[in-house]
Amino acid sequence: MPDPAFLFAQSLSGLTTAMFLFLIASGLSLIFGVLRVLNFAHGSFYMLGAYMAWQVVQWAGREPGRFWWAALGAALAVAALGGLVERLLLQRLYGREELDQLLFTYALVLILSDAAKVFWGTGQLSVARPPGLTGSLRLFGATVPHYNLFVLLLGPALALVFWIVLHRTRAGRLIRAAALDREMLGALGVNVQRLYTGVFVLGSFLAGLGGALVSPVKSIVPGMDVEIIVEAFIVVVIGGLGSFWGTFLGALVYGQVLAFGILVIPRFSIFSVFALMAAVLIVRPWGLLGRPLR
Amino acid sequence: MLRRLVLAGCVLLTAAWFPVAPAEAQKPIKVGFPMILSGPGALFGEPALRGAQLFVEEINARGGVLGRKVELLARDTKGSADEAVRVSRELILRENVDFLVGTLTSAEGPAVSVVAKENRIVFIAPIPKTDQLTAPDKLHPYVFRVAATTTMEGRSAAEIVAKWPVRRVATIGPDYAYGQDVTRAFVEHLKKLKPSVEIVDQQWPKLGEADYTPFITAQLAKKPEAVFSSLWGGHFVTFVKQARPLGYFEAIKYNMMQVAEGGSPETTKALGAEYPVGIWGNSYDAFYWEGAPPQHREYTARLSRFLKDEYPSSWAIQGYMGMQFLAEAIRKAGSTDSDKVARALLGLAVETPHGKITLREKDHQANRGQLYGKTVRDPKYPFAIMKPVTYVDPTPFMD
Repeated sequence: MPDPAFLFAQSLSGLTTAMFLFLIASGLSLIFGVLRVLNFAHGSFYMLGAYMAWQVVQWAGREPGRFWWAALGAALAVAALGGLVERLLLQRLYGREELDQLLFTYALVLILSDAAKVFWGTGQLSVARPPGLTGSLRLFGATVPHYNLFVLLLGPALALVFWIVLHRTRAGRLIRAAALDREMLGALGVNVQRLYTGVFVLGSFLAGLGGALVSPVKSIVPGMDVEIIVEAFIVVVIGGLGSFWGTFLGALVYGQVLAFGILVIPRFSIFSVFALMAAVLIVRPWGLLGRPLR
Repeated sequence: MLRRLVLAGCVLLTAAWFPVAPAEAQKPIKVGFPMILSGPGALFGEPALRGAQLFVEEINARGGVLGRKVELLARDTKGSADEAVRVSRELILRENVDFLVGTLTSAEGPAVSVVAKENRIVFIAPIPKTDQLTAPDKLHPYVFRVAATTTMEGRSAAEIVAKWPVRRVATIGPDYAYGQDVTRAFVEHLKKLKPSVEIVDQQWPKLGEADYTPFITAQLAKKPEAVFSSLWGGHFVTFVKQARPLGYFEAIKYNMMQVAEGGSPETTKALGAEYPVGIWGNSYDAFYWEGAPPQHREYTARLSRFLKDEYPSSWAIQGYMGMQFLAEAIRKAGSTDSDKVARALLGLAVETPHGKITLREKDHQANRGQLYGKTVRDPKYPFAIMKPVTYVDPTPFMD
């Protein structure tokens, strides 16, 4: 029987993985739930968030709160970019086939990855942890870095904010209504176009924020966009495309299955996660908490 | 009539005044250079190309090879074997290149080797490390390698770790050809050198893993005394950023052997103050290498000027050396015929910036060692360096 302190530490590691993934996957799932567009470029927005955070940190020099300003600035900049993309380009494709939309977002992936290379080169960039969150603490025999703890708390906090917005505000009601029946909502006189733009901006904001917040624990390199989109995709498939709580659950399951899977079969670290995804697709193709598509 | 005669005379005189060699000798020697120049691999591919360009500039300034200039034609392989094959074919068929020098990954090298074999063109690989490239069943007369191999790298690391007072050793490496091969070579050689060693844990995160935390905690639970890691480039940077606050390096007392150029200035620069100073790393080159042969200092100064970089790249040497072997072989063969040059390369010893290096006749593999050292902070540089730097000559354990 393994040491309980170790099992706790391992499950906490899985939880950290889960919360980072939730930050990214929630935006992907939100956009799909409302717009019915599978946005491949979500990973690119995440990458831009990381690069922009690095850029702002460079500009800010010795300002003590620079990391937090950088994270906010990067997320807002990416959100603005998302708004432009939706307004100027994506909006023209809503009537088209899903394949056209998919190809469009894939084209965005290629364009943005080359654009990032032009601006920031191919080197590995790195952002230091914000002051105050550089150390770590002991918790029931496990070492927990402060920054990981921050992310562990941020995930559920974000989920709570989302829940309140979705269930207690008018905007949230409209978003939920759009996910259910967009024609009806339009017929009732709601400006669906504007709602779509808003949701896309919000989703992009989450991607940018995720990228910025991941920058202190990850190197910023070309290619990080494609790496993350695969994982985020697995999370939303497990949890249910378009389902908010499904994404949260999917991330939790992903983290735990990865953390304990590598103890059982270390040779195939991602096997357990893919096996889980395959099982979910066979038994519940719409995901753990998703709804069957019409 | 007279005018024509005078004109013809003038032409003849002019020709006599300016002795021109046959047209063939005027044409430059064309060398195709397929290399990763975009995407994550460009971090290493770009400086390798710059090193090759430096060599070409220098040799052309001295009149070229066999009186002909050398022309380098670089192409981006985008890190994919298919693309590397495509651009190599294009270089051979459309540009009529005489030779190929290049490729970076262990997927590209063997793929381009096949193209070289089909077209009977000499191909020198300066970076791919997979043993497969020069394995007996893959070897052919036209393929040569001036990079280290996974066997040489794993064994060099084992030679050093065997001297550490540790018994419980763990490994972590990316789960694909390079990580698996170099780890296997390390483990086998270490067990041979020091049978009392126990491999207590092996972690295999996928290449490009975004979150190493579960792997780190799982490894720490096995209480290793030392770790062999082959995570490279940005992956290693990510790993360190996540492992440090988890107390990973303290737990193993900095007994870490980080291969895959983990001690190179590129990697220590990328991590800056976060580099886990005290671990061991390796590198193809180091501009600060004190015990280097005298020609290394001159090479470094020239490279520094060429790159306009005070701390020049450690990867440039691979492109430089690849071109150097080719030029020496052409000179020795007295011809640009690939069959003759391939024969000239067999057993060829070249005085490189790293001293004399020999391409073995039996497997077309250079005895290319790497630099190893324990990393320290030096107030002279804004990043960690290896000190002292030791060149590990792989000659005794290449087979």
